[in-house]
Amino acid sequence: MKGTYLGEFEELVLLTVGALYPEAYGVGIMDDIAKETGRSVNISAIHSALRRLDEKGFVTSEMGGPTNERGGRRKRIFELTAFGKKALDEVQEQRMSLYNRIPNISFGS
Amino acid sequence: MKEQQSIKPPRWSYRFLTFFCKEEFLEEISGDLEEIYQVNCQTHGKRRANWRYAWNVLRFFKWSNIKKTTRFNSNIVTMTRNNFKIAARVLWRQKVNTLLNVTGISIGIACFLLISLYVKREVSFDKFHEKGDRIYRTWTLEDYGGDQQFFYTNSPLPLEKALEDNIPDIEMAVQYNRNNFLVGEEGARINEPIAIASPEFFEMFSFPIVNGNQEKPLADRTSIVISEAYATKYFGSKMPIGEPISVQINGENRVFNVSAIMQDLPKNTGFSFDMMISNKNDDILYRKEALQAWFNVSPETFVLIRENSTLAATEEKLPAMVKTALGDRVEEGEYTLGLQPLTDIHLNPEFPLGNMPVGNPKYVYVLGAIGLLVLLIACINYTTLSMGQSMKRAKEVGVRKVVGAQKSGLVWQYLSESVLITFIAMVIGLVVAYLLLPLFNNLANTDLVMPFDFESLWVYLVMALGIGLATGAYPALVLSSLKLTNVLRGGSSSMGGKNVLRKSLLVFQLLLTVFLISSTLIMKKQLNFIQNEDLGFNRDAMVSVVLYPAPEAQGLGDNFTSGFKNGQLLKTKLESNPDVSDVAMGSHIFGANGWMKVGFNDNNDAFKQFNLLVVDPYYISSFGIQMKEGRDFDPALDLDKRESIILNQAAVDYFGLTDPIGKQLPGQDFGNNTIIGITEDFNFESLHSEVRPLVITQNDQTIFSGINDISINDSPTPKLVFKYTGTSLLEVKSILDKAWASTFPNEELRFDFVDEKLRLMYQDEARVNKIVGIATVLSVLIASIGLLGLTILIVNTKVKEIGIRKILGASPLKIFAMLFNDFSWQLIIAIVLSVPLTWYLMSNWLKDFAYQISIGADMFVLSAALAFGLTTLVISYHAIRAAKSNPVKALRAE
Repeated sequence: MKGTYLGEFEELVLLTVGALYPEAYGVGIMDDIAKETGRSVNISAIHSALRRLDEKGFVTSEMGGPTNERGGRRKRIFELTAFGKKALDEVQEQRMSLYNRIPNISFGS
Repeated sequence: MKEQQSIKPPRWSYRFLTFFCKEEFLEEISGDLEEIYQVNCQTHGKRRANWRYAWNVLRFFKWSNIKKTTRFNSNIVTMTRNNFKIAARVLWRQKVNTLLNVTGISIGIACFLLISLYVKREVSFDKFHEKGDRIYRTWTLEDYGGDQQFFYTNSPLPLEKALEDNIPDIEMAVQYNRNNFLVGEEGARINEPIAIASPEFFEMFSFPIVNGNQEKPLADRTSIVISEAYATKYFGSKMPIGEPISVQINGENRVFNVSAIMQDLPKNTGFSFDMMISNKNDDILYRKEALQAWFNVSPETFVLIRENSTLAATEEKLPAMVKTALGDRVEEGEYTLGLQPLTDIHLNPEFPLGNMPVGNPKYVYVLGAIGLLVLLIACINYTTLSMGQSMKRAKEVGVRKVVGAQKSGLVWQYLSESVLITFIAMVIGLVVAYLLLPLFNNLANTDLVMPFDFESLWVYLVMALGIGLATGAYPALVLSSLKLTNVLRGGSSSMGGKNVLRKSLLVFQLLLTVFLISSTLIMKKQLNFIQNEDLGFNRDAMVSVVLYPAPEAQGLGDNFTSGFKNGQLLKTKLESNPDVSDVAMGSHIFGANGWMKVGFNDNNDAFKQFNLLVVDPYYISSFGIQMKEGRDFDPALDLDKRESIILNQAAVDYFGLTDPIGKQLPGQDFGNNTIIGITEDFNFESLHSEVRPLVITQNDQTIFSGINDISINDSPTPKLVFKYTGTSLLEVKSILDKAWASTFPNEELRFDFVDEKLRLMYQDEARVNKIVGIATVLSVLIASIGLLGLTILIVNTKVKEIGIRKILGASPLKIFAMLFNDFSWQLIIAIVLSVPLTWYLMSNWLKDFAYQISIGADMFVLSAALAFGLTTLVISYHAIRAAKSNPVKALRAE
């Protein structure tokens, strides 16, 4: 189905949202990605990805409480939806099934 | 925590974010950014953090984050958008009409833009100096009663210091002068003008220094400032700072070191120099007496008035200063010093010419007016055309009104059409103007550039909007106020009354066009007259060469003797060539204003002035100047070399001499002199002025001993003239080059054709004539387009009438006459009205010339014939087609 395709970066973000539950928000996701994969990502890219995921229904979000280090502004906390979880599962499954089909010979030299 | 809070991200960046970002995202985005910022502040410091913040804000500036504001989503915007959409459709439907309109207005705009560039250049002279509003140039008026009045904007050398010392209101005073010097090493010297100015020159005037000593570019007497262009000319790609340049001053080679490079001077400044040295060198440039003299005039002096003072307060203190400086040497009121604003210099011909060029303000205003006129013609064109069109669109208005359109809504609807048209025309006009600029520069002998900066884009935008509203206003009002019932009932009778205005607009437009045609013709005639007028001497194929006095020659007298002596060498060389004849030498040659003018007190102690020409015995015969009485100089007579003088008729009248041959000049102190001949008056200066009294002599000393005043504006360096009788003008250069190289191998050869120089004397007038000519051609074009549009319109509305007339037996000629009749009356009225207007304005213009043509009826007849011819031509095509068309076609369709 067009529109629900999960891109590589989107998948990474979506995974991080799930992993950081219940504290997944922009900067947190960015930091976590940086920590886990060593990729330094611009915050605006995270925002765009989150918005796309939101449009596709993989995540939901709500505003959290105001915090001091953000100059009193609230965070937008993201959460994985069931649909999002399912999408991740599917991707994972596809991957695994393909992975399992790799015959040993292909490693041959 | 408190401390952390005090570090805020850069405000301008945050503001930008809040400006563009969608409300719903703003909080999370700005929150995240803030958080990152605080972390960055801790780890990388505030500077880096600021940069990153700004960068991140920029990264968020993408389509999905940008506000789709509701602010613009109002009814007005929607309606305007709709209006423009409909306007575009209407314009697209009436292709021919739109094409004519757009072309007309584009041409008008292009013409206006080009002329306004010229006008803007002229009025913007020296308006860019930061301290410009406080800079003034001094002028001096010496008045000893009677004819003895001297008014000049040059100033004595000690004035600068006197002003700075005595008048506290003056922050600084600066001298500026220009002189020609030989620059470079022996063997490759070039004659260059060099400016000599006070060291503070660059503090007072805003000419940026790009390289070298920015603080004190003229710090000491060996400093020389050169322009970027000259840096390349003299040093190529080498770094010129500190490099030596040798300049020959008073026969001695002086070495200057390049201390700074300034930006090339802008085009709109009266200053003109590529090299500048400090006036600390005055002591080697001038004699000791000149440095002290208060009656010797040479540089211009500029003063900068302190910010807390005024012009009036400063001028008040000048008389006291003059008194202390001059003491008893002048009586009260005989010597007045005054100040003229820097920005006033370029367009104020009432002050005498100094070093700065002065333009004629009249021409600037006239050209500005003409630019506006052409634009006006184009606008009227559009208005008349769209009013004609409105008949067709009456039904449209009716239907709109029935559906419930408000009057104001309709007005906006039609205005959007005209605004759309002018915007398209503006873009085309800009392109056309840009493409035509080189041609314009070439024709009008200017060097304008078109600005495409932010500011001028605004001007263009506002201009397009303004023209659109102005041209569309009347048709829009007329259309929108049509009576609903009248329109829908049919019949265009409701439009009848409005034709008066339409017709008078057309008359006005034609009037302006005819006026421009006749003005161009008259100006052209006057210029031709001036250039072909018998000036009283022979100028064809005469070549003049500037001679070089020996470097050690001091003073005018020595200059003449030494120059003539050198000229003799060149003359011998030249005379061996069969194509060269009539070689002569003189201190001035025709084609330059400002010949040496001297003054003396005559026997009745009245002050008299005359022009003085120092010549060799062949000058008069070479130029073929007619003798009225007496004889020309005889080369064989030694007496003639010593004391014979020749006067022109004007001098005889001025001195009041009767039977002058054998008499003397009416002054006490002249050396032995005898008048041996009287010449017919010949125009040795431009035809703007009458022939002035002139005395011709071979021995300058006889005259110099008896005069008490001298002023020179044309260089009196001796020149050699000869007549070239060969066929190829290119040959002249090689003949000269050869003779010159063997006589003066180290000097630069400078020569001119006399008739070319004479032509250049009327450069200003010729330029105005050219620009007016261009404007005329364009306005004729616009008018033709308008007429064409109207013809199409009328033919279209009268298709049925023409058909019926033809059936009833009207000949094609009759029908053509019927169509033509309508326009011919308006044209006749326009022509008649244009006559007094043209006559009045043109006689005003002609007043500038002492010798003028009479504005004859022939000019008007010619321009009327031209106008009629053009109108016929334009109307013909469509009128003839309509007259010849098959009436059946016109009547069959209903």
